[in-house]
Order: sequence, then C-alpha cells, then structure tokens
Amino acid sequence: MALIEVTNLKKSFGNQEVLKSISFSVDKKEVIAMIGPSGSGKSTLLRSLIHLEEIDNGSICIDGDFLVKDGQYANQADIRKITGKMGMVFQHFNLFPHLTVKENLILAPKLRKSESMEEIEKRCMDLLRKVGLSDKANAYPSNLSGGQKQRVAIARSLMLNPQILLFDEPTSALDPELTGEVLKVMKDLAEEHMTMIVVTHEMGFAREVANRVIFMDGGEIIESNEPEQFFQHPQHERTKAFLHKNWK
Amino acid sequence: MVDYWNRIVWPMLEGAQMTILLFFIAILVSIPLGFILTLAVQSRFKPLAWLSQIYITVMRGTPLLLQLLLICFGLPMLPVVGEYLVFDRFVAACIGFVLNYAAYFAEIFRGGLISIDKGQYEAAKVLGLTKWQTTTRIILPQMFRVALPAVANESITLIKDTALLYAVAVPELLHFAQTAVNREFTIVPYFIAGVIYLAMTLILTVFFKWLERRYKYE
Ligand SMILES: Nc1ncnc2c1ncn2[C@@H]1O[C@H](COP(=O)(O)OP(=O)(O)OP(=O)(O)O)[C@@H](O)[C@H]1O
Ligand SMILES: [Mg+2]
Repeated sequence: MALIEVTNLKKSFGNQEVLKSISFSVDKKEVIAMIGPSGSGKSTLLRSLIHLEEIDNGSICIDGDFLVKDGQYANQADIRKITGKMGMVFQHFNLFPHLTVKENLILAPKLRKSESMEEIEKRCMDLLRKVGLSDKANAYPSNLSGGQKQRVAIARSLMLNPQILLFDEPTSALDPELTGEVLKVMKDLAEEHMTMIVVTHEMGFAREVANRVIFMDGGEIIESNEPEQFFQHPQHERTKAFLHKNWK
Repeated sequence: MVDYWNRIVWPMLEGAQMTILLFFIAILVSIPLGFILTLAVQSRFKPLAWLSQIYITVMRGTPLLLQLLLICFGLPMLPVVGEYLVFDRFVAACIGFVLNYAAYFAEIFRGGLISIDKGQYEAAKVLGLTKWQTTTRIILPQMFRVALPAVANESITLIKDTALLYAVAVPELLHFAQTAVNREFTIVPYFIAGVIYLAMTLILTVFFKWLERRYKYE
C-alpha cells in the first residue's frame, strides 16, 4: 500500500483554480523530486499534504488514514495524528529566532511529553551531529549561515521521527556555495530510505537522488517518471520546454 | 543647609514617591490591559474588535489631560450616577493613566504581533504545537521582544506625564516644587525637580537597555 495516496485533489484560491484534480501516490522509501515552473502549484500541493492549506475536493490518505476523503476532513484529533507522521522543511527555514538551536529541536518533543528529557536530549545531540552542527547547540539562529539554519531545520523536523519529510525549495534561499551542505544532508536521508517529497529547482539533486521526478505545470501533473527517463526522454512538450529552459 | 533640605528637598522627595507609585501602578496595570486589548482587537467576535478599536482610537486621539480632568471633575457632575463617581484624586488619576496607557500599549503590542512572520505559525503547526502552545511559546515571546524598545519609550513618557497630576491637584513631585518656588521665591526647586525626573528616566533607560541586551537572542 502506498504511504501517500492523493486522488482528484482540487484547490482554488478565490476563482483561480490552482490544483486541478491531482492524483498521485508515493511509496515508502521513495524520494520524489517535484519540479515545474513558478506558480504551477507545487508549494500548494505540498502544503495541502500537511494541512497548511485546506483543499476543496478530493482525498489525501497518509499511511492508510484519510486526512481528507472526498473533500471531507477528518476530525481535529485525527488531523493532528495524521499530519504528525510528516515533517516539513521550508524555503526560509522558519527557525524560532528566540530559541537556541538546541531549544528549537527540543521544544516540540518536550511539549508532546511522550518521552523522557534524557531521550529527547540524546536524540537532539545525535541529530545535530548528523547534520554536522554539534558545536552550534547553544547558538541562536541569527548567528548561523543560511546553510546551517536549514540543516538545523531539517534536524528539528527529524526530532519527531516522521515517516515522511516534505521539502519546499530547501535550497532556494541559500547562496549557491551553501546549497551543497544541505543537499548532502538530504542525500544522507535518502540513503537511509526516508520517504521524501522535495520541491526543488536543483536538477542535479533530482537526477542523482530522486527515485522519481514529478513535473507540474498549470496545476496539473504533466509527467511522472524515473529520473533517467525523465531527463533523457521527456514525453511531453511542456516538459521538454521546461527542461530546455532550466537544465543545461 | 539642613533647613533648606527639610523645607524644600524633603517634601519634593516625598512628592516623588507619589510619582513613582503612580508610575508603577500605571505600568503594571496598563501593560496587561493593553495586551488584552490587543487580543480583543484581533478577536473574531467583530463587535468586540470594533469596540476595542474605537476605544484605542479615542484614547490615543484625545489629550491625557482632558481625560484626567473628565475623570476627576467631570464624572462627579453627571446627574444621578455622579455621586457614586467621586474618587479619591490619586485613585482617579491612576484610573486615567491606566485607561490611557493601555491604549498605547495595545497599539505597540499589535505592531509586535503583526511583525511576526507567518512562517513561525506554520513551523509551529507542522511541529504539532497546539494553538495555545504556539501563542505562549513562539508568538508572545517574539511579540514582547519586538515591542520592547517602544515599551521603553512609552515608559519614559509615562514618568514625565505623571507631572499632569499637578493639574488635578494630587501632591506629587511637581506640586511640591511649585509650592517651594512660591514660598521661597527661588527657582532652585524647578532644577531639583528636573534632576529627580532625569534620575528616574535614566534609571528606566538603563533598565530597558539591560532588558534589550538580555533578550537579544544572539
Ligand atoms: N495564499 C494564496 N492566496 C492566493 N493565491 C495563492 C496563494 N498561494 C498561492 N497562490 C497562487 O496559487 C498559484 C500556485 O502557487 P504555488 O505557490 O503553489 O506555486 P509554486 O509552484 O510553488 O511556485 P514557485 O515555484 O514560485 O514557488 C500561484 O498562481 C499563486 O499565485
Ligand atoms: Mg513554491
């Protein structure tokens, strides 16, 4: 069974239809790269999955539970439970500026109260080591570079042991020389078989790390294929035009 | 010299106590009240939001002195209810200051609130924080931090505004200064009053600078 199953998802802002009956599914351990021109609805789709946007119609099923079924949302408690299986990393990091790196990581699990403080702190330090920021535990976000901030944000989202990680252009706000360190962390996660959906303009990442590339345009999924096929033999004219403009 | 101290400086210092008392009462009550007003303005219950906004507009748009005169001398003149609205002068002044400053603080906190990026709410939400947790752990600390310099300014203004008590005949610092000037035919008490006000505002300035450094988050 697919880990994420989206069927006939529709979403409008006012009278602008932003997502036009989207259907797709993601299996466990898949890494999806989602690409497409600006305004094609990538962010809106990603945000709908984790209930930052409410959709108008269609279904989203996460790990067997319906977040929304034929336009009907689950109740509050179930929504929390279902979206709790996912983590999200934002373009602008959205770290809490008044908390240190360590406090940023610890806050959510601490408030959830399902583990002891020792376990939480241990995982915090493990994750900081994993993203290469053990020495920044007590720094405030304002003293970090963009790449460091984004690595903290990734570690923070991992603190809750999500089954799925969603990334919305995680490197777009970074100076080019800082994207590598973030992509490296994401690549490590992919190698550990974290299920990920990554909205990105990094064609290199899409090509090397993703198992599948989804191309969106005008609120629709135009093409979905494994990277080799997608980049070497794009099927649709719109895909070709997009790749021509954005790659090589 | 001792005589001078007893006749002039000592009463002024006692007057300064009144000033300081009013300052603390006004600050300690109007800040929470202003915060509640901020929330009321944001309320989804529209009549409450409008009423609060009108209140803030009126309080900020009319002179504090007028409001003080109204509370001290105006209210008791009202037919029927007037006799129940005669307060002790100092109490009346406190009410006036609190009501007025709450409106200013509400506006300051609202500024802090709207300065917070919506990404903060979104990050909190995807981390599973409840609305309450988001408000208390993420939003309010940042709001107060952003508001801090404006709160500092407002507090210094408040110290100086206490001199308005003179107009409603509450015996505060300025009142004793004026009495001494009239009695002794010297302008020295004015300067002494100035020095005392200056000392108070300096202490406040240092305190708020310390707070700002303490919560710099760097
Ligand atoms: N909150 C909103 N209110 C109104 N319109 C919106 C809102 N969010 C997005 N849109 C519109 O929906 C469309 C899709 O936006 P979306 O952000 O999903 O695109 P995107 O593919 O992520 O683009 P980009 O690559 O620029 O991030 C755009 O036309 C955008 O203007
Ligand atoms: Mg986007």
